[in-house]
Amino acid sequence: MARTVDLPSPDEQKSNAGPLFQWFKIYIHGMKTAFASRMAYRGDFFMSMFIMMVVELFGPLVTLLIYHNGASFPGWERHEVLLLQGVFLLSRGIAFPFFMGMVWNTISRVQEGTYDLLLIKPRSILQMSIITAFDSEDLGKLIGGILLFIYALKSVPSLPLVNWASFLLLFIFSLITMFAFGLFMSGLGIVWIGNYRIYDIFMSVMDFGLYPRSIFNKLFQTIITWVIPISLLGSFPASALLGKQITGVLGAMLCSIFFLLVGLWFFHRMVRNYTSAGG
Amino acid sequence: MQALIESPLMKKAPPLYRAVIHATYKENFAFRSTMAVSLIVQPVYFLVHYFIWQAVFQVHDTVSGFTLNTMLYYFAVSSLLGFLNWDDADGTLQRLVQTGKFITFQLRPVYHLYYAFFEKVGHRLLAFWVEIIPIIGFYLLFKIKPIPTMPVWAIISVALSFILGFLINYTIGTIAFWLVKTDGLRRAMLVIKDVCSGVFLPLTLFPSVIQKVLFFLPFQFVSYVPARVFMGSYELAGITMSIPQIVGLQAAMVAVTYLLNRLVWHFGIKRFTGVGA
Repeated sequence: MARTVDLPSPDEQKSNAGPLFQWFKIYIHGMKTAFASRMAYRGDFFMSMFIMMVVELFGPLVTLLIYHNGASFPGWERHEVLLLQGVFLLSRGIAFPFFMGMVWNTISRVQEGTYDLLLIKPRSILQMSIITAFDSEDLGKLIGGILLFIYALKSVPSLPLVNWASFLLLFIFSLITMFAFGLFMSGLGIVWIGNYRIYDIFMSVMDFGLYPRSIFNKLFQTIITWVIPISLLGSFPASALLGKQITGVLGAMLCSIFFLLVGLWFFHRMVRNYTSAGG
Repeated sequence: MQALIESPLMKKAPPLYRAVIHATYKENFAFRSTMAVSLIVQPVYFLVHYFIWQAVFQVHDTVSGFTLNTMLYYFAVSSLLGFLNWDDADGTLQRLVQTGKFITFQLRPVYHLYYAFFEKVGHRLLAFWVEIIPIIGFYLLFKIKPIPTMPVWAIISVALSFILGFLINYTIGTIAFWLVKTDGLRRAMLVIKDVCSGVFLPLTLFPSVIQKVLFFLPFQFVSYVPARVFMGSYELAGITMSIPQIVGLQAAMVAVTYLLNRLVWHFGIKRFTGVGA
């Protein structure tokens, strides 16, 4: 059965709200298309989503086994480490389905030669890279993150509102950091043709964010705060929520913004380097 | 013609497989920078684990019988085994079935099982010097020398784990004859295999009930058993075995997995249909 879509006329398009609204509208279309195409193999889709969720819950396995064997991370209770990992997975659970797909999208399109099709669209290349990359099965990551976060939160006594406020602020910064990572990887994907292992580099570096910052030595603590702000992905937001004393958080936030700006510059610089023989 | 193609003599011609090894090696050599990404990734993973265990062993001398040094040794050996055993036999077979390209293998005078296995051999030969040798060098910086206490048994065990890892992946790939697209299933099995084979952690750290289950699964023979053979002692779920005994059991598991693979293949191949070549 054929389906038709009523597209708004150019006048209607102009009369609508600002560019953000337009952006959001197109993004929803991208989501719908991604869902529809993934539903062609719906059995595999649901299994993949379930697996994504389970895989995320395997992340804290090391923590659980360490505490199960009577060992611990100095200064951290089991539920506190799980909360940290819950925050980390929550951040990843939002990033991966909603914008991190642009990395895979970019690498794949550059390799196939279909990146040109995005470049000729009347939208910014970054916007098109995100819109056409919604990864529906990665919603399993988000569910996994939420489940772990709620599970860990159950063992924590009620928290003051100020802790929640600082947590939310730092959580936004964790998403900014994730987005900056996405920009760097997508940029790399343009020049490092067909190398999907860029993800591996990212995932391995991100592993530093899955554990309390205090377990690393001073040098690495400085690197994951001031150079690549990985501490913002889990350690800082979780510490803020738990009311633990944290140092260097302001520096990490500034570093995160700088990381984003450099990421944007890097991505667009790499796009300028893109060459092809037409679509 | 068909009889000629099906004849075992044709299908097991060694020069053919030598050619497969050679072609796979050369093909992947062109993309060696992709493989070399491991030289960034593995040291980072190792550093994370190094700090984790250093923090844990600050307050405990041993965890489940492991000291800091033996834990790092185990992690180093199991990561090297991971590099040696890696293959994408499941993904490759699934893509061949999904796209219909598998039909070309039905016309070639070669068993796809052996073809895929020797592809793995070629690929891992390249990995040996691109990934494994430099990473051994990195471990040496931390004074971790991945030298087995019983070298002969370790070589046999590593060879068996190489075959077993392939057979498990290939059997998972065979499921594509039923499901066509098996990304989800493959991802699930990859995680289950990695966790249950002790890639991330020694299996003795798991609760005793889970250890008992893990003892009867084939996965421990892919990574945990060869790593323990390197260490010179084997123990799981309270069961202690000598090195020759556990390697013998590993060989038996390879034979069982091979038979299981042939059984699944026998039923799966009947479901395959393709048009054109």
